Amino acid sequence: MSKLVKKPFLLLAVLMLVVLSACSGGGSETATEEKPADEGGQASGAIKAKIGVISYITGPGAAYGEAITNGLKLAQKEINAEGKVDIELVIEDSAGEQEQALSAAQKIMSDDDIVSIIGPTLSTEMNVVGPEADLNGIPIMGTSTTAEGIPQIGEYVFRNSIPEALAIPASIKKAVEKYDAKKVAILYGNDDVFTKSGFDTMEKTAKDMGLEILTIETFQKGQSDYNAQLTKIKSLNPDLILASALYNEGAVIMGQARKMGIDVPFVGGNGFNSPQVIEIAGEAANGLIVATPWFGEKDDPKVKSFNEKYEAEYKKLPDQFAAQAYDGLYIMAEALKNAGEADRDKVKDALLEIKDLEGILGKFSFDEEGDVVMDPTVLIIEDGQFKQFE
Amino acid sequence: MLGEFINPYYLQVASFILINIILGLSIYVTLSSGQLSLGSAGFMGIGAYTSALLTINFDLPIIAGIIAGALVAGILGILIGIPSLRLQGVYLAIATLGFGEVIRVFFVNWESVTKGAVGISNIPHIGREIFRMLRDSGFDPGVLGLKNNQFVFLTVFILLLIVNIFVVWFLIRQNKSRVGRAFASIKMDEKAAEAMGINITYYKVLAFTQGAVLSGFAGALYAHVMAYISPADFAYHRAVEILIFAVFGGSEVIWGAIFGAAFMTTMPEVLRFISEYRYMIYGLVLIVMMAFRPQGIIDAQVLDWFKKRKLPKRRVDHGSSNQKHL
Amino acid sequence: MILEQLINGITLGSIYAIVALGFTLVFGVLGIINMAHGEIFMFGAFIGVIMTSTLGLPIWVAFLAAIIVTAILGYMLERFALRPLRGKQGVSHLAPLISTIGVSILLENVSHHLFGAGNHPFRNAFADISFQIGSITIYLVQILIFVISILLMMALSYWLSKTKAGKALRATAENLETASLLGVNTKKIIVLTVVIASAMGGIAGILVGMAFNSVNPQMGLSMGLKGLAIIILGGMGNVKGAMAGGLILGLSETLIVAYGDSGYRDAIAFIAIIIILMLRPQGLFGQKTTEAGR
Repeated sequence: MSKLVKKPFLLLAVLMLVVLSACSGGGSETATEEKPADEGGQASGAIKAKIGVISYITGPGAAYGEAITNGLKLAQKEINAEGKVDIELVIEDSAGEQEQALSAAQKIMSDDDIVSIIGPTLSTEMNVVGPEADLNGIPIMGTSTTAEGIPQIGEYVFRNSIPEALAIPASIKKAVEKYDAKKVAILYGNDDVFTKSGFDTMEKTAKDMGLEILTIETFQKGQSDYNAQLTKIKSLNPDLILASALYNEGAVIMGQARKMGIDVPFVGGNGFNSPQVIEIAGEAANGLIVATPWFGEKDDPKVKSFNEKYEAEYKKLPDQFAAQAYDGLYIMAEALKNAGEADRDKVKDALLEIKDLEGILGKFSFDEEGDVVMDPTVLIIEDGQFKQFE
Repeated sequence: MLGEFINPYYLQVASFILINIILGLSIYVTLSSGQLSLGSAGFMGIGAYTSALLTINFDLPIIAGIIAGALVAGILGILIGIPSLRLQGVYLAIATLGFGEVIRVFFVNWESVTKGAVGISNIPHIGREIFRMLRDSGFDPGVLGLKNNQFVFLTVFILLLIVNIFVVWFLIRQNKSRVGRAFASIKMDEKAAEAMGINITYYKVLAFTQGAVLSGFAGALYAHVMAYISPADFAYHRAVEILIFAVFGGSEVIWGAIFGAAFMTTMPEVLRFISEYRYMIYGLVLIVMMAFRPQGIIDAQVLDWFKKRKLPKRRVDHGSSNQKHL
Repeated sequence: MILEQLINGITLGSIYAIVALGFTLVFGVLGIINMAHGEIFMFGAFIGVIMTSTLGLPIWVAFLAAIIVTAILGYMLERFALRPLRGKQGVSHLAPLISTIGVSILLENVSHHLFGAGNHPFRNAFADISFQIGSITIYLVQILIFVISILLMMALSYWLSKTKAGKALRATAENLETASLLGVNTKKIIVLTVVIASAMGGIAGILVGMAFNSVNPQMGLSMGLKGLAIIILGGMGNVKGAMAGGLILGLSETLIVAYGDSGYRDAIAFIAIIIILMLRPQGLFGQKTTEAGR
């Protein structure tokens, strides 16, 4: 190889390394609690722990990351005030991209003081980051990753977000009972991990329950016109329509369906259960049945108090992402308490042992794979509001 | 002790840079023969899925999977390249764009094989596989003072670096050879080249296929470094990103693609705070580059400038340009 | 059901046709493909949403606003992204294409920031007017869309063939230098072309908002790619071809959903691109040109 090639190449390699070393620590945020030094007695004896957070802070889905980070910070304040555990959050932004999530994870894991990781936000990111965390023996817990197969990635991988596999059968069962449904049509977005995963569960549940699946239709992102699929569904006359869609598309679908005279109830998955559906679809949203871990209007003192605290701090009401993150940090804190020290393996073992922990979402336990054991709430939209579905 | 120097974060970013360099080079190769292919994302996906599926379902060793991925992409390159000969410039770009999208739709819909939008996870990871192999044979990276993930990423980085050096060397040699000159002449004026007796069909398809093979190769590497792929990774946006590597860095010379890939991959890491505006900046970059410097930042003149600074002074005294002709 | 699906298909197709008209105008005159056309269309739709849903203004104001805004966007596109490339020597024919790709990415992200990533409802009383024929409900909007697209096509054809400005445009399309030698103000014509094309994109955008009730920033990319497919199908630079191509694509997409697998809906457009380019690069209605094939 001629000199001409070697030298510039070396120069480039050196340049790369210089640039890389220059960007040390760019973008990471650390949230520490101010310790009141004169109020003695509280800080002593508390288990100090650093927890890494990978969150979707910038980009199109930043609303999710913001809600999650807010929930975490609110919980952190309260937990640290209790005095048994002292948590420091190290927050990294993944912008919803797997490559960045992986880089963020590497940054976090290279800090030996960090005992566990919360996040990332999307199931696609978790699929990439989970195996790395597992290999390095650091427990990682998703508070919003609901696609199939996540806790199965490894013994260090957990989640506290109700997976589709739990939520969807609950909602379908209740709907079938109430409306005595025998025939269903299924509609789903086939180019998104989340909605496809939800569809897989819907199809399986429908088959298990012996329902007749009249047709299965798909739609893609960026589509505004669902009339073709809906016309086909309408002509087949189903009792229920199972729709695995994110709330954006879902609301539009319901709007167009109602316009063309489809009156039957819709059953939706996890992504569909946002108050935004009512805003976008208006009256057309009536008749939507979803299962959710979080029902903001529940008549429960814990829920009410969480709503108040969150609104006071962040000027808006919390959604399920904030709620799950809040409970998530409490779960982590509980594991730390039970483990007795901030040791990665001890925390992992302690997490597995969590049973019936009372959070704002209800009783929570991990199963032996690190997946969620919890009862979801089934809701229906009636008169423009989410109500509990009996 | 080595552990202090080797930060997996940097190695991670460096590995991505190396994969992106190969992608940038894939566009460079086709551009060097005057063809603009926007289908690199599609070929990348083919390489990735082929390798992932072969290694998972048939337990093929990773190397075999990667080679198979590159080959399949190459074969498709030939199949697309031949009919595309008749298309010029813009039409070719659109046809390849359409091709890339068709491939993506197939990945999404062929659920029985590709699992659709859910993606394929648990793809054997190059670094982890090597790590396991070594551990099974008794070697412990702790001996070198490295943690598990440091070792894993160091291996990945070194392997990718070797691959990159080989690819770049190959392309430089090719440029100097008859093939390279044929490409350049076709790029300048196709009809004239044909009139001079150059077999346009052969060379155009060759360039196109090389681009496809490189993209497929990079795709397979990507699959084995991320360990998870889904159709969304190979969409139109990816093709545009790859295009930017060559367009921004320099579409006429190899170093342009290398520089473009390196620069564009590190930018989001260095400037995390503007990552929200990243795509806006990409858009502006394209517009501004085309308006003011269409050949990209690095072109032949810039390289010459580098060369003049690098060679020892001897040349100035002894070169023919300084001789006084009588 | 088939009647309803046909109506769906024609509605969709008419919208595609209007978008394609814009594409084909620009290609015919400038010889470049404006990859940002889809985003301009999307911007028009958003302006419509803001006018009607957020500000509560009547629909004709929304139309006007959308036309004005997209016309301005078109002007800026021409001025800043395309004009600098025209004077230069030795600029490859790919440069304008790449430049418009840049504009499209820029616009897509700007709209993400301005309008937020989600769907925005398009609520307007006009959009709810409908008729019942037998068991089928037809919305006034659907009829309107079809009528508007036909009108636009006819108006464009007439303008191009009978008016002085139209003839000047065709002359410029034929050969820039000769037209300019003959006294045509080519610069003005070019600007006019891009502005008209963009305004048509804006009209299509509002119609989409009215017909389908939702507008989101991702619409632009999908529509842009479909628009490409249509002009290739119909023949680049050919007005009737754009109309026909749009209807054909709209109908085939709807029918494949109705009678086949809805997953492959998007693939039709792209497969059509590839097949047409291989077999008949000038499109169904186009003239054989030396650029398209060898």
